Amino acid sequence: MYEEKFVAFKGSKEGISIYLNRNSDYANLKKQLIKKLESAKQFFEGAKVISIQGKVLSDEEKEEIKEIMYSKFGMVIVEKNEEIQRKEIQVTKEIFEGIEEGNTKFIRATIRSGQRIQFEGNIIIIGDVNPGAQVMAEGNILVMGALRGFAHAGTSGNERAFVAAFSLQPTLLRIGDMIARSPDNETIKPMGPEIAIIKNSVVIIEPYLPNK
Amino acid sequence: MGEVIVVTSGKGGVGKTTTTANIGTGLALEGKKVVVVDADIGLRNLDVVMGLENRIVYDVVDVVDGVCRLRQALIKDKRYSGLFLLPAAQTKDKNAVNPKQMQTLCNELKEMFDYVLVDCPAGIEQGFKNAIAGADKAIVIATPEISAVRDADRIIGLLEAAELRDPLLVINRVRIDMVKRGDMMNIEDMIDILAIDLLGVVPDDEAIVISTNKGEPAVVDNVSMAGKAYRNITKRILGEEIQFLELDGQEGFMSRLRKLFGMK
Repeated sequence: MYEEKFVAFKGSKEGISIYLNRNSDYANLKKQLIKKLESAKQFFEGAKVISIQGKVLSDEEKEEIKEIMYSKFGMVIVEKNEEIQRKEIQVTKEIFEGIEEGNTKFIRATIRSGQRIQFEGNIIIIGDVNPGAQVMAEGNILVMGALRGFAHAGTSGNERAFVAAFSLQPTLLRIGDMIARSPDNETIKPMGPEIAIIKNSVVIIEPYLPNK
Repeated sequence: MGEVIVVTSGKGGVGKTTTTANIGTGLALEGKKVVVVDADIGLRNLDVVMGLENRIVYDVVDVVDGVCRLRQALIKDKRYSGLFLLPAAQTKDKNAVNPKQMQTLCNELKEMFDYVLVDCPAGIEQGFKNAIAGADKAIVIATPEISAVRDADRIIGLLEAAELRDPLLVINRVRIDMVKRGDMMNIEDMIDILAIDLLGVVPDDEAIVISTNKGEPAVVDNVSMAGKAYRNITKRILGEEIQFLELDGQEGFMSRLRKLFGMK
């Protein structure tokens, strides 16, 4: 039948690919597709659709077709192309490795409550970070003043990142995925500059200048 | 051309209105032409603190809406000839005015007065945005409590974002006996966190409660410590270098503060 050339199905291990004739218009293709699916409703129920190929459809048209397939025929749409794209995005979003040398942001100000600093690299603050403020860096954080707010170093997952401050007294501290918080009842006033790093999967804080 | 100063704090109940009334009256005592503007629309208080509530005919919303002329809404103080009040509306809310209108209003007032003091409402929403819209300078009030300091810090950040740089700090309701015992936040610690210049320290004083209820600002009172503190703040606003009060014989403490700011 001539009509059948508008829409074709191709099966594989992963699922079904649908081919739409490039030379036909969308309304006709839609009609043909529904007709075909209707004719073998039981067969297509629960089938996995991995791609729609052939005619280039607009996003709305694609959505409509997907909706029809899903609601009328109970077909599952797993678009492979999108999955691959998503994987690619995840690959490009890699761990920031520039903690030895890499992009660094310098900020010369007091970071106050309600303010949030975020950078895809290291952050150096010449000033204080007050309670209620947030500093988030994919690399290291160095505060040339008092750190009293929330600091998160290695946000993209680098566990070798560090947080250092002249006076390190954060409410909450994160390095990579590790979280540490200040003790509940004792107020510790550090006597000198300190650094927070991960050692044996625990955030530890130690002075970095000997004999002080 | 005068100067618009907004008095703000973030947290409520730390003494914005009291401070506005006292500084305003203090400046008037010094012979300046002053207007205090209540920007706390819907929750007006400044008129009560100044003892002028029975004279309000028009308010700031009426002026902005063009119901009356600016001069009609200004209330002359009963004691000091140079002091005026522009009251807030009590029946409207903060959205009755927008920042642009406040800016125009402040510019108009600046032409008529030496000092325009704007009493900011608590919070960081519309009312705050309105209050700071026309301001040239800001005074931040904080009490020695962690919550007040946290809010003041947030406010300073927002002021800086609004290009109102270098606000001045007034620490209110300090109880020196409690500070001594270590039960109240230390003034030095507060300055350490907020990192702005100190304009004055006002002790917690019964005289403030009495004067507020009477509608007579404490700055007029020659006896009370709070009154004296406010007079000193006024003088510092006028550019005089006044030593910080030695609160209850805290020797060496205030001089340390002064050293901190290079004031001798």
